[in-house]
Amino acid sequence: MSDFWSACLLRLERELPAQQFNTWIKGLRVETAPDNAAQVTLIAPNRWVLNWVRERCLTEIESMGRDFTPKSVSVSLAVDDATEPLATSSILDSDAEPKTTPSDIGPTLRDPIAAATGHRPARSIRFSDPVFERTRLNPEFTFDTLVTGRANDLARAAAQQVSQNPGVSYNPLFIYGGVGLGKTHLIHAIGNAIYATDPSKEIRYVHAEDYFSDVVRAFQQKSFDTFKRYYRTLDLLLIDDIQFFNKKDRTQEEFFYAFNALVEAKKQIIITCDTYPKDINGLEERLISRFDWGLTVAIEPPELEMRVAILKKKAEVEHVDLSDDVAFLIAKNLRSNVRELEGALNRVMAFARFHGRPIGLDVAKEALRDILGATNRQITLELVQKTVSDYYRIKVSDMFSQKRTRAIARPRQVAMWLSRELTDRSLPEVGDAFGGRDHTTVLHACRTITSLRFKDTVLNNDLHVLMQTLKS
Amino acid sequence: MSAPKQMLLNLRVEWTPTLENYVAGGNRELISRLRGLADPRCFDAVYVWGSEGCGKSHLLNAVSVMGRPPRTILSFTGLTAPAEIPAKPGALLLIDDVQDLSAEAQIGLFRLFNSARILGLSFLLTGPCAPLQLTVREDLRTRIGQSMIYEVQNLTDDEKKSALQRHARLRGMRLDDNVVHYLLRHGRRNLPSLMAVLDTLDRLSLEQKRQATVPLLRELLQTSFELDPK
Repeated sequence: MSDFWSACLLRLERELPAQQFNTWIKGLRVETAPDNAAQVTLIAPNRWVLNWVRERCLTEIESMGRDFTPKSVSVSLAVDDATEPLATSSILDSDAEPKTTPSDIGPTLRDPIAAATGHRPARSIRFSDPVFERTRLNPEFTFDTLVTGRANDLARAAAQQVSQNPGVSYNPLFIYGGVGLGKTHLIHAIGNAIYATDPSKEIRYVHAEDYFSDVVRAFQQKSFDTFKRYYRTLDLLLIDDIQFFNKKDRTQEEFFYAFNALVEAKKQIIITCDTYPKDINGLEERLISRFDWGLTVAIEPPELEMRVAILKKKAEVEHVDLSDDVAFLIAKNLRSNVRELEGALNRVMAFARFHGRPIGLDVAKEALRDILGATNRQITLELVQKTVSDYYRIKVSDMFSQKRTRAIARPRQVAMWLSRELTDRSLPEVGDAFGGRDHTTVLHACRTITSLRFKDTVLNNDLHVLMQTLKS
Repeated sequence: MSAPKQMLLNLRVEWTPTLENYVAGGNRELISRLRGLADPRCFDAVYVWGSEGCGKSHLLNAVSVMGRPPRTILSFTGLTAPAEIPAKPGALLLIDDVQDLSAEAQIGLFRLFNSARILGLSFLLTGPCAPLQLTVREDLRTRIGQSMIYEVQNLTDDEKKSALQRHARLRGMRLDDNVVHYLLRHGRRNLPSLMAVLDTLDRLSLEQKRQATVPLLRELLQTSFELDPK
C-alpha cells in the first residue's frame, strides 16, 4: 500500500498549494493493517493535522483508493502517540468519559496550562468523537450555558423550536445582532442540541469566510461537484457572519443553489449576520429575499442584569465564587458585548489566582484597570496645565506667564510637579512648556512641592485630587 | 589644546532581550503568563499594551526566542503581517503593534481567532492602548478584548535604577549612584531613553578618556539629548 500512498502524495502535492501540502500532508505516515492490505491508517503527528486531513482530504484520498485498486481501500486516521504531546496516559481519562469532546481546549482560549507559572493547572485535551468533530461545533456552546434575558429571549425561543423540529419550524432561521452578543453561541447550541438528539444527522457549522475559501478551493481544484454534493447532503447547515459574502459573487451563487436545495429537501439552514437582511451590503437581492422565507430574529446588547447573570453563570461553570458586587462592577464597566465581558471575568480570575487573593472588589478593580485602560489615558503637559488651572481657578495662560504672585506661582509649581510625576517629559521639556522656563526652575518647583506636601495637608490633598482627576 | 579624541573599536555587547533580563517590576503576573506560552499545550491569547517605550517589544522578542520545538512561533509586526498568516497547528502567533494591521490582515487575524480552537493556536499581541480603545474592525477588536489583557506597568524609580545599574554592568561600565540619580531626575523617564543616554555616556567617556560622572552626563544631556533629541 505504500505505492498507493506515494501516488496520493504526488497527486495532493500537485493539487494543494505548497504551503498546505507541507503543513498538513507531508508529515503523515502510512500504516497498513498486517492482515488486510486494503485497510490503511494515516498517522498524523497531532490532532490538528488529523482534523484538517479529515475535513479537507479524506474523501479525496478514499476516492484515490478506489482509482488505485479495484477493491475499495478503507482509510482511517489516527494520531501518533509518540509525537502528540497531549495524549499522555497521565492526562487521558478515557474510562471516565468515553465520549469526550474537545471542550477542554476552551473556546475562550483560557489560561495557559503550565502549572509552574502559578496559573490554572494543565487542562488535558481528550480525543473526541470524530463524527462530532466533523460538525465543527463547539461543545461548550449549548442552551444550558446560554444566559437568557430580554436581549435574546425571542432568539433563544426560536432557536429551541428549530432544534426540536429542524427543517420544519422556521427555515431559514436568520439571527442578527451586533458583534459579540452571542449569535455564534446560539447557533452552536442549536447544532449541539440536534446532534444530541440524533448523532446521525449531517451537521456542519461554517463561518462565511471559510465557506468562501471552500468555493475558491473548489474552483482551483475543479472539484465543484464534490463541493456541491457535500453541502447539499447536509441535514443542518449553520452559516455564521453572512455579511462576509459582501461582493463575493461566485460564493453567493453557490450558496444560493445550496440554499434552494436544502430548503426544498426540508433541511435546516441557520444564518447569522451583523445586520438585518435588507441592510446587508453587497448581497444579491434573490438571496436577501430568501432569507425572509423563514424567521428573522434579533439579539440585542444585554442589559445590566443580564450581564451580571452571564458573569455569574460563567463563574459557576468555572467553579468560582463571584459575589454580586464584583459581578456588578464588571458588568457596569463592560457594556457593549458578551465577549469582552467574559474576557474581563477571565482576567479577574487569573489575577486573583496569580496573587493568591480571593475575588473581591479591590482585586477586580486592579485587574480591570488593564482592561479599561483608565490609568493610562494619555496625560499630556497641556492636560496637566488645563486641569490645574481649572482646579485653582486661574487662567491657563498664567501657566506660561511671568507673573510670580503666590496665587499663580504655586499652582504653576504644582503643575510642573505633576508633569514630572505623570509624564515622561524631561526637565527642559517641562520648562519649555511653561513659558520657556529654565530646567532649574522646574527642578526647584519639584523640590518645593515635594518638601511642602509633607507639611501642608491642604496642598497634599490638592495633589491627591489632581492626580486622581488626571488619571481617571 | 584639547586631548585627541580616542577612536573606538566598534565592539558591541551582545544583548538579546529575554524574559530573564526584563526588569519585571509590577509585571510579574504578565511575565509568568508569557512563560506559559512556551508550552505547546498552552492555548492562550494574551494582549499586552502600554505607551511607547514601556517594553512591549522587548517582551515580544523575548517570547519569540523562548519557544523550543515543537511549538512553532510566527512573529510579525502590524505592518508586516500578511493577509493570510500560514499558522501551523499548535503555533504561537506574535504580532507587535496590532493597530497597524491592514484591513486584509485584520480579517486574516479574525479568521485565525475563529479557528484557534480547532487548530490549537495561541496569540501574543501588542498595542498602544486597551482593546476598548483600539481602532481595528469591531469583530476583531472584541476577540482581542476577550484575551488576557495586561497593561505593561511602568517601573518605579528604584526599579529603573537597578535596571540601569545592570545595563551598565553588562557594558563593563562603572556607574556611580549620583549619576543614576541625576539621570533619573533630568532625563526622559522611559527605560529605552535612559538606556540610550547611558550608552552614549559610556561611549563619550571612552572617547574623551573621562570618568562617567555627573558633569559629563550634564554636558551630554545639554548637547545631545535635549537640544537635539535625535
